[in-house]
Amino acid sequence: MKAVCWMGTGKIEVQTVKDPEIINPGDAILRVTRTAICGSDLHLYDGYIPTMESGDILGHEFMGVVEEVGSEVKKLKKGDKVVVPFTIACGNCFFCAKDLWSLCDNTNPNAAVCETFYGYSGSALFGYSHIYGGYAGGQAQYVRVPFADVGPIKVESGIDDEKVLFLSDIYPTGYQGAENAQIQPGDNVAVWGAGPVGLFAAASAYMLGAGRVFVIDRFPERLQLAKDYCGATVINYEQTPSIVEALRDLTGGVGPDSCIDAVGMEAHGTDLMATYDKVEQTLMLETDRPTALRQVLQSVRKGGTVSIPGVYGGVLNKLNFGAAFGKGITMKMGQTNMHKYLQPLLERIESGQIDPSFMISHRIGIQDVPDMYKIWKEKKDRVTKIVIDPFRETGIDRLHAV
Amino acid sequence: MEGLATQEQNGPTFPMKGSTYQPLPRGTEHGRVLSHAVQTIKASPEQVFNIFNRPELLPTWQEGVVSVTATGDRTHHWVMQDPGTGKQIEFDAEVLELVPNKKHVARIINGPFESSTDTYTFEYAPAGRGTLVTAISDYKVPGGIVANTLGKLFTRSPEQLTIENLRHLKQLVESREIPSVEGQPAGPRGVVGKWKELLMGENLPTPPGTSDRARSRDFAEENIPPFDSTPVLLGTVAAVIGLAAWYGVRKLR
Repeated sequence: MKAVCWMGTGKIEVQTVKDPEIINPGDAILRVTRTAICGSDLHLYDGYIPTMESGDILGHEFMGVVEEVGSEVKKLKKGDKVVVPFTIACGNCFFCAKDLWSLCDNTNPNAAVCETFYGYSGSALFGYSHIYGGYAGGQAQYVRVPFADVGPIKVESGIDDEKVLFLSDIYPTGYQGAENAQIQPGDNVAVWGAGPVGLFAAASAYMLGAGRVFVIDRFPERLQLAKDYCGATVINYEQTPSIVEALRDLTGGVGPDSCIDAVGMEAHGTDLMATYDKVEQTLMLETDRPTALRQVLQSVRKGGTVSIPGVYGGVLNKLNFGAAFGKGITMKMGQTNMHKYLQPLLERIESGQIDPSFMISHRIGIQDVPDMYKIWKEKKDRVTKIVIDPFRETGIDRLHAV
Repeated sequence: MEGLATQEQNGPTFPMKGSTYQPLPRGTEHGRVLSHAVQTIKASPEQVFNIFNRPELLPTWQEGVVSVTATGDRTHHWVMQDPGTGKQIEFDAEVLELVPNKKHVARIINGPFESSTDTYTFEYAPAGRGTLVTAISDYKVPGGIVANTLGKLFTRSPEQLTIENLRHLKQLVESREIPSVEGQPAGPRGVVGKWKELLMGENLPTPPGTSDRARSRDFAEENIPPFDSTPVLLGTVAAVIGLAAWYGVRKLR
């Protein structure tokens, strides 16, 4: 089969590899119908997540049709159409039972490596480095899905692939970002990043009762989506002298009740700290550039909530923890507990409350993927979300005029 | 009864007696390697012990075990295989203490690991958490502490083996399988990729967990991958450079 492989920092290649096989009795093999490139794939592309090995198959947002199931699989059968959550959970451990699916005890074969970095290991992820299990990802024609009775959600309504594909990661991730923000009716919510997760977080914030949602980014096409599809008041930080001031002024001098960092470890900014982070990360003095998080900690109101769906990998320098303490804020974060959200969010899509496909800007074939990673990283071509048909060789459909 | 009700409402009454933490054994001593592992397994002590105490199941969750056969009331014959060289190691072990659902102590009585002892204890964990399992290993390692250090770098140190085996037991009991990515597709690994694989112990076979992934397949003679020495050579060079740097830093201080 053809698969998108990480071959080193900044080096993505389409390779012909052997087809996946059933390894454990709870596995299923899928023929991938649609897959996508995630913003967090750029952390791998840029080499900021350790323990990638050349040859690793990328991709953790995918859906497909069941081709084969292991002997212990009860709920799925050949021919079922499923969307697969990017976190792999066993469904039986202490954490799964507590709905903390992304912290599952039993799915990471390299748990020992993760324990060295983080103390304890969370669940494994598809195509997201060996510290997270080293599972081959779904930017491929076929993929092996372990614990197939626990994760994948069947799509039986005949709804378009593109409407449900984002259940695999970004919609639940944005939704959990909003849920973690502990929004009370009428609250002011600020979202950093108008990428797919930020856009879903903004829309979800309204679903959870927010009064007003502000979205901060620098790309006009993304801010346009936040305005047109998510009802947000948008702030272009490149044209704003101070984000803290902007949010203070917009919230009657109080500050947003909840702030959502949908940016993560590779933030950009125009302030002094952004330059500081860029220099420190380049010199390997810190692994992450928490530029957005710094603004979040300054902006959030006293006693407010900070929710972090953006990915962080390691060590942050000179983060103003005093601001967090001094204002008595609550912080909630982590990988998405995907399994908890699949059914309720599928229902929201099927009932027509939201059509997640609004953010798709590019439809591509598998051979176009390496080039698109570059475009995705450089945010060229008005890119907002890329969907791949792994069985189409090549051909880039742009949904917006460039 | 009235006193109990108050206690339930308000918590315990003080002063309340606490205790002092006593570290479990870990480290090297007189050429022996001491290690321990602790896991909470979401099942009753009976359920955990039932899987633990069946010798024929040991190859399904312990790394590198080919077979364990009873040779007497309290003795077993073990066959293990070194994943690096494919060499088989045989020895006998005897059970020193067995309290069903509570404790199991066994000692190796011949072969290269002679006098190594494994102690497992099983305790009921309150609040529905299942069973607290503690494993303490006292290994006699051929090649001593140097071999343990090398093992840490390249394959499994005995210390890590204790941790991984107990983790596998938990995985098997809780989720009916042991997670594995062995044999999945990948693009060309190259020298650096192979070296990383080795460092993370990913070239070690995962125990099969259930009968579906039969041991015979995993350990069939013809399936043993040829030992690639490139990463080892690279690793040795890296280790020497690392040691030299460490020594240098110590001297500077």
